[in-house]
Amino acid sequence: MNRAADQPEPNPLREGLATRAVPQPCSIVIFGATGDLAHRKLVPALYNVAADGDLPPAVAIVGFARRKKSDEEFRRDLEEATRKFSRQAVRDEIWKTFAQSIFYHQSEFGDESGYKRLAKRLDEIDKDHGTRGNRLFYFAAAPDQFEPILKHLKAAGLNETCKGSWVRVIVEKPFGTDLASARELNRIVHNSFTEEQTYRIDHFLGKETAQNILVLRFANAIFSPLWNTHYIDHVQITAAETLGVGTRAGYYEHAGALRDMVQNHLLQLLCLVAMEPPTDLSADSIRDEKVKVVRSLRRWPRNEIAANVVRGQYTKGAIHGDPVAGYRQEQNVNADSQTETFVALRLFIDNWRWADVPIYMRVGKRLPKSATEISIHFKKAPAVLFNKDLHDLNVLVIRIQPDEGIALRIHAKVPGTSFHIEPVKMDFHYGTSFGKASPEAYERLLLDAMSGDATLFARRDEVEQAWAFIDPIEEAWHAKKDVPELFFHPAGSWGPEAADDLLARDGRAWRRL
Amino acid sequence: MPAVTETYSLGVPVEVGKIDHELKKLWLESEGAMTRASLMNLAVYSEEPGSLKKNTQLMARITENHACRAIVIEADCNAEEDGVDAWISAHCHVSRAGSKQVCSEQISFCLNGGCTTQLPNIVLSNLDSDLPLYLWWQQEFHDPMDPQLWTWVDRLIYDSRPWQDFQAQMRLVESAQAEAKQRIVLCDLNWTRLDKARFALAQFFDHPASHHHFAKIKKVRIDYASGFRSTALLFVGWLAGQLNWRSEKTVGENKLQFVGSSGRKIDIEMRQRDGEPIHEVAVTAGDIEFLITHAKCGDLLEISRGKAGGKRVPQLMPAGKNDPVSLMSEELMRGGPHHVYLHAINCVRELL
Repeated sequence: MNRAADQPEPNPLREGLATRAVPQPCSIVIFGATGDLAHRKLVPALYNVAADGDLPPAVAIVGFARRKKSDEEFRRDLEEATRKFSRQAVRDEIWKTFAQSIFYHQSEFGDESGYKRLAKRLDEIDKDHGTRGNRLFYFAAAPDQFEPILKHLKAAGLNETCKGSWVRVIVEKPFGTDLASARELNRIVHNSFTEEQTYRIDHFLGKETAQNILVLRFANAIFSPLWNTHYIDHVQITAAETLGVGTRAGYYEHAGALRDMVQNHLLQLLCLVAMEPPTDLSADSIRDEKVKVVRSLRRWPRNEIAANVVRGQYTKGAIHGDPVAGYRQEQNVNADSQTETFVALRLFIDNWRWADVPIYMRVGKRLPKSATEISIHFKKAPAVLFNKDLHDLNVLVIRIQPDEGIALRIHAKVPGTSFHIEPVKMDFHYGTSFGKASPEAYERLLLDAMSGDATLFARRDEVEQAWAFIDPIEEAWHAKKDVPELFFHPAGSWGPEAADDLLARDGRAWRRL
Repeated sequence: MPAVTETYSLGVPVEVGKIDHELKKLWLESEGAMTRASLMNLAVYSEEPGSLKKNTQLMARITENHACRAIVIEADCNAEEDGVDAWISAHCHVSRAGSKQVCSEQISFCLNGGCTTQLPNIVLSNLDSDLPLYLWWQQEFHDPMDPQLWTWVDRLIYDSRPWQDFQAQMRLVESAQAEAKQRIVLCDLNWTRLDKARFALAQFFDHPASHHHFAKIKKVRIDYASGFRSTALLFVGWLAGQLNWRSEKTVGENKLQFVGSSGRKIDIEMRQRDGEPIHEVAVTAGDIEFLITHAKCGDLLEISRGKAGGKRVPQLMPAGKNDPVSLMSEELMRGGPHHVYLHAINCVRELL
């Protein structure tokens, strides 16, 4: 993907060595550095990038959090977490040099003096480690802390760049809880940073197969002529997980599956599937096309929401034969919770390419298996010759996780003297064809942010348009009257029957995963 | 199934005319318990006695990360009678998901007698269709090169390190490339050997504020292991090609002088010592030294920059390995032509 405007002149010694934008030396400041995200994902990802030799030598990691801790204690905590969560085994000698560039900065998020001290410390790190005044601020703290952090960063002058240096900010989801709060959050961010400096992370976009959707569509001429309303009957997107709400009940009770998964991850996947070819591979060209998809999503009037969006909640049941509690019995969940743990949607993209092609999405916890897949169901061949009795469609399946790959279902004649036709599957598995393991999504995304490549990050208008689509559904669910029903389904089933009816009414059925 | 093996045997002997048939049988017998995977045809040619077994072992390891149809050929060009023996086997590995065996098939040939005439026929009639052909040539190239073979090769892999006459060999390769009338990518494992060191040095100069050091480089020291002088020279060629230096003079075998675009002189010192192929590189620009050295643990590079006697914050990065499997794996991960390599060899061609 392309270089950002603030990217430097190319290094002649890099020619032929790098096929991606080169990450720049910088200090990465993690707000909320003692939290789960930093320990489970961010620091293990940075360690892996370092162990693979992709981290520039002058990168410092500064953890910013409230708890009192020395640099050494912080390094020990991170080492323990990295040993536990890293995709590759931690090597002592690599960790030792990696850890030399990890620092801890104790401060309350609302304490102005803490940011002044931070500025001073970053200047010292620049001198000692050659980080050249480049700063990457990673917001891994709770969203309600974003405003004080941003305000104080600005007050301490940490949002300002010197000549030749850059400052970027990575914001973790949720990007608001509705359109109004997202706009407010964007306003707050933009008080301190420009849109070009803002990287909204959606880790689904860092997954290898998500990136491969664009390659599949735009590097293979065979799909391009078929990718439209003339040949596609419908599209299904499923994001299923066997896990329950776990320790996230506090957040999940307020969010629910629609906000937690659909507004961001699933709509991002839909954009990649449905977007027009971008004019080039620059971040904005791609995001321009993605936002058009969200903008084209048909908004349902209040009285049609129940017919097109099904919400459900799991009750007690079993996963892989083991009994599990219902959602309302989970810790920190209200006994009469109305939060949806399952959503199924019937969407339409009202543009030329996708006119009248239904997009069915479903997402849920405590479903029979964990799988995220997109399937493109092609229209039937004319009902003459072989197709009079055929009911199966050609299906192209893009498996996002696990077992990343692509499969195509076609029809073939069963060997024999009779003319019996059966569907067969051509299957491509990343893990089978490519021995090398894919990097974790956070590894890719952190490197992209250090390189100034915002392609895999959500832009302000994408986020806001997604909320504009989600808000009427949430409003209907939280209205005082005519509230669409919350359907219950046992854990370990594929959601409530109403979700099946959503497709059955159109003469279709969910794919068997 | 006897032909599916992890013990590096050549597998089942087959008649040359029935290879396809026997391969089909091999996979039928696996009854879906194994998945055949292939991204390329990887042919390896050697005239060294015993190479069939050695290369089978290499293929077993290469296919762990690079699914392919392996075509392993050992040739005895001086044999009195012409003849071909063939075997089929499969290299199977548990996939990353851990649930199934992923297998690459291998066809092995022992050619006796008229090697150059038999080789194209053997290779071309046993390709996995629609997949690129990578030919790993483990010999010095013979004159004349067979144009019939080169027209089918997508990537020609060789190691220039042991070549006695670099210029003559390169002329053969380049003439084959020209005759082939298609894009053959030249992949020199001696160049691949430099990947990590080049990467390590390059990253010092990623920030534009570092670029001014290029104009101040006055000395480069390269420590290399015995037998790797040509590798060190390729490194010099790379620097010269990318930084627009021109060769000025040589002082003895290991002291060279280049001239930068502004007329500035750059002294190159190459020192043979015990250690890794390229054990240490020190680039001095003004009063700053950029240093890459092999860490004590061997498979890591320690990189640092600083003034003489000043404080340094060293960092470790993967050093890469010098064994054929690692070099091949590295090479097979790459795509596209190697323009930088061609530029580098042109800068030091006469010294190689």
